[in-house]
Amino acid sequence: MSAPPELDPVIHAQARLRVVAALNTMGAGNEMAFPALKDLLGMTAGNLSVHLSKLEEAGYVEITKTHKGRTPVTYVALTQRGRAAFDDYTKAIRALLDNAGGTS
Amino acid sequence: MADDGDRIPSPEETLRLIEEQRAATVSRLRGDPVLLYVPWGTAWLVGFSLLFLHYGLDGRPYAPISLWQALAVHLIAQVVAGAFAAYGITKQTSGVRGDISTKGTMYGYSWFAGMAVMTVIGIRLAPMLPEAEGGLLWAGIALLVVAILYMAGGAIFLNWRMFFLGVAVAAVDAVGVVLGPGWHALLAAVLLGGGQIVLGLWWRRHP
Repeated sequence: MSAPPELDPVIHAQARLRVVAALNTMGAGNEMAFPALKDLLGMTAGNLSVHLSKLEEAGYVEITKTHKGRTPVTYVALTQRGRAAFDDYTKAIRALLDNAGGTS
Repeated sequence: MADDGDRIPSPEETLRLIEEQRAATVSRLRGDPVLLYVPWGTAWLVGFSLLFLHYGLDGRPYAPISLWQALAVHLIAQVVAGAFAAYGITKQTSGVRGDISTKGTMYGYSWFAGMAVMTVIGIRLAPMLPEAEGGLLWAGIALLVVAILYMAGGAIFLNWRMFFLGVAVAAVDAVGVVLGPGWHALLAAVLLGGGQIVLGLWWRRHP
């Protein structure tokens, strides 16, 4: 019997999981602007900022501040590390499901 | 709490949440099917119906509509539809930077190039043909350009729905051109015009 896999605490929170899942869907080489991400997730700007800071601290997302004309724009991208963490997380969740299915 | 981001109840729930978020993101990146397909479908339904009434199936017109009136309405309707589609594509790629928006830009220019060359070929060759065949040339190339660009769009954005819509347009175009101008217009109006309206609405409900 394998021990239940550890779940990454940074991702194992509903809001941050959704942020990472959304960014992961875009594929490497793509960034999403903060307002677009906020609308997609249906979160408030304040709430999303808090979660993005946590993900940035963990090195899972990269936040780029730039300008489009005169308007400042913030882009968010999943880092390679974030992508790997999401991959490991989904594997761990699937393993948990399999274990639960095997013992019941 | 916002800081904690709410603990997740069960693995099943978690996988469902991931899948829902993935699906929502894919449909956001694909754009609104109502904006992309319904105006186009409406333009074809109206434009090709007028052409059909002009040609008739046995060479006799069903309504007193001249070819130029039918073509003018068809063209204007397509320009309006193109504006809606352009707005839809802009909305779809706005807020995204990277491969996706680069693909979107190149794809947009491909539509522009296809339509421009179609116009050049039509203007150069259609006047040399009998009236009905000239109209069929225009309609035949227009559907060919759209068919190939839908199929290419499916390949670029990994969207099977769009790809098969392109296949359907190509098939209707080929069959219609073989059968003649009246049939081409009828099939394009009903199957492609009506079809795109139905599919656009259906795909919004079932992303």
